[in-house]
Amino acid sequence: MNDRENLISLFRRTGYERMPVHFSMSPDLAGRFEQYCKQTGYVCPPKAFVWLPGSALKTPRSQDFWRSLYRHSFKEGTSFDCYGVAHEPGSEACFHMTKMHHPLEEMTELEELMAYPFPEFVPEPTAEQRAGAAGAHEEGKFALGDMQCTVWETARYARGMETLMMDMMEEPKLAEFVLDRVTDNAVTLAVNFAKAGADGLFLGDDIGMQKSIMMSLELYRQYLKPRLKRVIDAAREVNPDIIILYHSCGYVTPFIRDLIEAGVDVLNPVQPECMDFEEIYREYGNDISFCGTLGTQTLMPFGTPAEIEMTLRQNLDLVGDAGGLLACPTHMLEPEVPVENVVAYLEACRNYKK
Amino acid sequence: MEILQEISLNLQKGKAKLVKEQVQQAIDAGIPAEEILEKGLLSGMDVVGEKFKKNEVFVSEVLVAARAMNMGAALLKPLLSSEEHASKGKVCIGTVKGDLHDIGKNLVKMMMEGKGLEVIDLGTDVAPETYVETAIRENCQIICCSALLTTTMPVMGEVVEEAKKAGIRDKVKIMVGGAPVTEAFCQQIGADKYTADAASAADAAVELCRMGA
Repeated sequence: MNDRENLISLFRRTGYERMPVHFSMSPDLAGRFEQYCKQTGYVCPPKAFVWLPGSALKTPRSQDFWRSLYRHSFKEGTSFDCYGVAHEPGSEACFHMTKMHHPLEEMTELEELMAYPFPEFVPEPTAEQRAGAAGAHEEGKFALGDMQCTVWETARYARGMETLMMDMMEEPKLAEFVLDRVTDNAVTLAVNFAKAGADGLFLGDDIGMQKSIMMSLELYRQYLKPRLKRVIDAAREVNPDIIILYHSCGYVTPFIRDLIEAGVDVLNPVQPECMDFEEIYREYGNDISFCGTLGTQTLMPFGTPAEIEMTLRQNLDLVGDAGGLLACPTHMLEPEVPVENVVAYLEACRNYKK
Repeated sequence: MEILQEISLNLQKGKAKLVKEQVQQAIDAGIPAEEILEKGLLSGMDVVGEKFKKNEVFVSEVLVAARAMNMGAALLKPLLSSEEHASKGKVCIGTVKGDLHDIGKNLVKMMMEGKGLEVIDLGTDVAPETYVETAIRENCQIICCSALLTTTMPVMGEVVEEAKKAGIRDKVKIMVGGAPVTEAFCQQIGADKYTADAASAADAAVELCRMGA
């Protein structure tokens, strides 16, 4: 099996030959890791995914355009995304993280929301997307479309979480309008990736807190599940075999059955600090695969290399020869993670023998 | 009194407009503001807090209940003279320097206000000296620190050290919380109280203030 076939078979739980690696690092750690590789000649094992570029905007808007929609000024270095959400740098101690400002937060009337310049995407894949997928396939790699912040998170970044939740509870028309505008775009993005030849989509919306779910199942089923399903169905209309990965931080156990029903194939990241992987695997492992399980709140920053190797082995042994788990860190590896632990993870994958 | 029970029940359902109307009705009926606050608004938030602890309600329900409480409390505020109504304690809260996550911190703030505590929200990315200066200036009994990241957890230890340096460590209690924070970490840095969820944090803060933090 080439890498692509190996990963597809792993996600389909029909056996796999080797464990690919999947991880990301904060810029600070990435710099130290690069230095380590230069000094030692270390070569990172091949990564699981080739990430495809995004779709083109119909009407790209300038940073000044978005800046002019706000009444207050921003720190130097603030940038605006395609929804006009401002990302303002924090203090130096915040490293790569930014504080978000929500352009729709103060609006109280549907007309105001309707007048907002939501982005729209060209409903065809770009040449870069097609070339990216074709290039990945030529190399025998899995081409993945990044669509995290699929609906709920993009909508709440634009509207503000508290305001959007209040809308969902008390002003359904406002909530539905914002969620629908974002879902329409998500459908276009998903279809473009599928048409370009993506093997999978990495969807995601955080719906878990550390120890509880973020909203009731009723609210989730009313507003978010149908919209997630709409995005997945649209992609599957183009490519019925496209693999759907879905990310939510935190504790999401009560949502897993709904996610399966919406069409999710692979759940990420299964934070061990929030959920018991063994329990979840035994309950849902016949219906969904997993990606993650190596905790970035505990194991990766504070564990030893031996503990990392042991945890990876235990989790992969649990799912067995059929596969169903891409074992990897649950989140971006932050500056306090020792380079030795990154290498321990990579080597554990390389050396895992079923 | 029936209307206070109704206020409490409607607050639990997040019916902000109704709560506001009924608080006004209660005021007009001559019920003391303190009683409306305690037996109407705060008793309603108590129920929400208990349900939140048991995972029976979630962030969205807490948000709408807190908004209903705030709308009712705004009517009572001018009527609660400082002599008759002393707040149950004063807390300054913030997400520590280097960390911009505030969902948990905002929940804790709402829950604490729902217990009748006065809460000064310092926002996110808060430097240790800011907590301590605020606690001194505002006579806070509690400094409450939140962090989501393992990267920023150690700043909580710096807050403890800063409070010692300023000579207020015996006058102020330091509470810590957030996803990666544990009881062991709380003890290790010499903070006073760790709680695992927002409602428990509010309970603990009330208790610390009652004990004369």
